[in-house]
Amino acid sequence: MSRDVVVKSELKASVWQVLVKPGDRVEEDQELIILESMKTEIPVTAPSAGVVREVRVAEKDQVAELQVLVVIDG
Amino acid sequence: MAEAMEDPVWGPELEEIAERKKMALEMGGPERIERQRSQGKLTVRDRIGGLLDEGSFDEIGSISGYAEYGADNKLKKLTPSSFVMGRGLIDGRPVMVGGNDFTVRSPGGDPGAGRKSFVVERLATELRLPLVRLIDGFGGSVRTQDSIGRTYIPDNPGWREILDNLATVPVVSLGLGAIAGLHTVRLVASHYSVMVAESSHMFMAGPPVMARLGQTFTKEELGGAELQARAGSADDVAASEAEAFQMARRFLSYLPASVYELAERGPSEDPPDRRDAWLASAIPRDRRKIYDPRRIIRSVVDKGSFFEMGRLFGGSMITSFARIDGWPVALMASNPHIYGGGWTDKTSQKVARFVDLATAFHLPVVVLVDIPGFVIGQDAEMAGTVRHGSRALAAVYQANVPWCSIIVRKCFGVAGAGHTDHTRAQYRYAWPSADWGSMPQEGGIEAAYRAEIEAAPDPEAKRREIESRLNLSRSPLRTAEHFMVEEMIDPRDTRPLLCEFVNLTAKLRHPGRASFGLRP
Repeated sequence: MSRDVVVKSELKASVWQVLVKPGDRVEEDQELIILESMKTEIPVTAPSAGVVREVRVAEKDQVAELQVLVVIDG
Repeated sequence: MAEAMEDPVWGPELEEIAERKKMALEMGGPERIERQRSQGKLTVRDRIGGLLDEGSFDEIGSISGYAEYGADNKLKKLTPSSFVMGRGLIDGRPVMVGGNDFTVRSPGGDPGAGRKSFVVERLATELRLPLVRLIDGFGGSVRTQDSIGRTYIPDNPGWREILDNLATVPVVSLGLGAIAGLHTVRLVASHYSVMVAESSHMFMAGPPVMARLGQTFTKEELGGAELQARAGSADDVAASEAEAFQMARRFLSYLPASVYELAERGPSEDPPDRRDAWLASAIPRDRRKIYDPRRIIRSVVDKGSFFEMGRLFGGSMITSFARIDGWPVALMASNPHIYGGGWTDKTSQKVARFVDLATAFHLPVVVLVDIPGFVIGQDAEMAGTVRHGSRALAAVYQANVPWCSIIVRKCFGVAGAGHTDHTRAQYRYAWPSADWGSMPQEGGIEAAYRAEIEAAPDPEAKRREIESRLNLSRSPLRTAEHFMVEEMIDPRDTRPLLCEFVNLTAKLRHPGRASFGLRP
């Protein structure tokens, strides 16, 4: 049975790169989004394998702490 | 003991004590016990059994409760007090433990419960034993006013004892159900607190009160374990009560029984001269790329000894306990995954509390430094980052325990300077990836050379020219030429050098009460 895996931002940051799109199959620990904060690139990875259902942010967006970035059908 | 030759003189009383104990073990009765279990919660006696070494619980006040007598003046029923406490062992070391029994609803008063909950605190202080609180209880209710026919000026019962313990013995609080009213501060006023996911909720006022104010929340939304751990009111979240007991046992394993003792060296099977080759490549050359700080920690401490506390709060610094060549240490490490390791208001609060904890229990401090500075911006100013940051710096300068810092990468600005008390003789090393200064030049160039850049025909080219000039003097080896860093090391030597540090400085730890008592 599939379940929603909600991937959130652990920090307030800007979105540097979006590496996946809806429909993409991703493996556990695969990089989904790269955030930028304090001049470092902070990868956000998939907590488990699945298919990307939604990408809720775009490059250059500002995201808040705990904002949902990606939803995966796990 | 040999069997008695005849009936003991005090036989009837002994039988009655045994009978009363049996009644007390029934807690709130089968129905209420079933209700507790159906909510995924253990009973207080199962909890004590799960926490302590098997069979080690010595109860105090086991037959206190509300007694009902028949017409013949014989005991009909004893409803036990809703607070169970006593002595026990954790890994063979004595502790005090006390917990609320949520199943008990006394038909007419609960004479011992309140006093038992203070006495367990007082016993911990006086016997100088660690204390574990098992918290599952609501706060006050206006029903009290109805039943006593008056009202009263509030006080916080037990608060003096709670504060004495914070300054004296390790205190662990486990949130194992509803936590409201006075119980919220009992949870928070500890050195380590854990709430159990889904079954534990904490709030100053619960959903029914908030609903009256027109705000609808579920228990989870208002005061779930993860929320409270992210807020820093609880330290960690456990997946189950059993896991929470293991976390409490693990936390206590690094600390002495009280501030009047020193933490003991444990067995170490991990060779002190172990050098993990990958450490020489742990930090990426590209300054924008980050790394896994926990992997570095695991590589330099004794195998299996890393125990993190407070992962969800102020995450740009990892605060943890570990063993190095068997010696317990308080280990902090920057985490570039959160704000690149930059300090927020929360990071600062976390550092201040953790350093105070290490100081109170005389643990040497090891810091792996990668601090780009304080996180900046209007939100940071509004959050009082400067004040919280100042408090963290004060804690670092008030610490009198052995202190070793290893600069693995960035060390910038006021927050970076907070990696050590610079007025002490430095026990400090730096990796070749070190990068330091009053501010990172990436942002600093625009500020310092604005006029020059703006006046140039090609401002971007001018900016790059200044940057490449500054890069030439950025090497940490230039700092070392001037002996402004004590020693540049091969990252692979970090563990052997830390083992030397803890062995050299073990004799410098002094038992005794700190000049200040910890605040929650």
